[in-house]
Amino acid sequence: MLEEEGIPTISMGNEPDRMARIKPPRALVVKFARGSMFGEPGNVGRQRRILLDALDALRTMSEPGEIRKLPYQWKRPDPD
Amino acid sequence: MPIDLETFKPAYEKWVEESMPDFQAGKMAEIVKRYPFVMPDDIPWTPYTGNASEQTFALITSGGLYLKDSQPAFDTVSIHGDPSIREIPKSVRQEQIGIAHAQYDHSLAEQDINIIFPIHRLIELEQEGVIGKLIDTHYSYSYVNDVVPLVTETVPQMISRIKADGVDAALLVPV
Repeated sequence: MLEEEGIPTISMGNEPDRMARIKPPRALVVKFARGSMFGEPGNVGRQRRILLDALDALRTMSEPGEIRKLPYQWKRPDPD
Repeated sequence: MPIDLETFKPAYEKWVEESMPDFQAGKMAEIVKRYPFVMPDDIPWTPYTGNASEQTFALITSGGLYLKDSQPAFDTVSIHGDPSIREIPKSVRQEQIGIAHAQYDHSLAEQDINIIFPIHRLIELEQEGVIGKLIDTHYSYSYVNDVVPLVTETVPQMISRIKADGVDAALLVPV
């Protein structure tokens, strides 16, 4: 709805199947678990890196529905 | 309107009826499989132009964030979810944030909210001039299945506030 009102968006995502149904206009896909879209707690550098990737995606994505995969990995630890 | 509500409403009512037993049993994967996603064929699109260092940004999450001392928590019991939205100020501190969302494990976000709501990293980018301006008020919603009040009331109100703040682009972080 933001896009229809003239505001471009960049969406984060981690489930390609779900994103195929929701069809965000521009999206970055990460390999992180649900609830950790910017990686592990306290990793300031990684959070910043992904934000810079989001700004780059805004600037460079030119087709509606484009999805770009980010390479970063971190496995959420098992709960205690 | 990105969602055809006249198609959605009867499909949603049928979904609620059929999904209630699984919802009450906590079988969330099952109810998601049946959920009537009604999306347009055409993806809405506004071209992005300009330079981030001269632009204004907003942050929106579906993580279920609220201010513990001044805002009500979201409804985490109803199968319909909660269509309301919370305004989260740019100045928010970790200890002020509560999370009301029954459908994901938010224990890590409670340690560092920036993994779903990277407000502090965006403030740093603003201070460095990478982005021009981060608005003073950002937004969180939570788990919602009944999208009718969301798309007819809550989101239009949020968008009008975002436009009044002169936002050029928004970062969306679902959970």
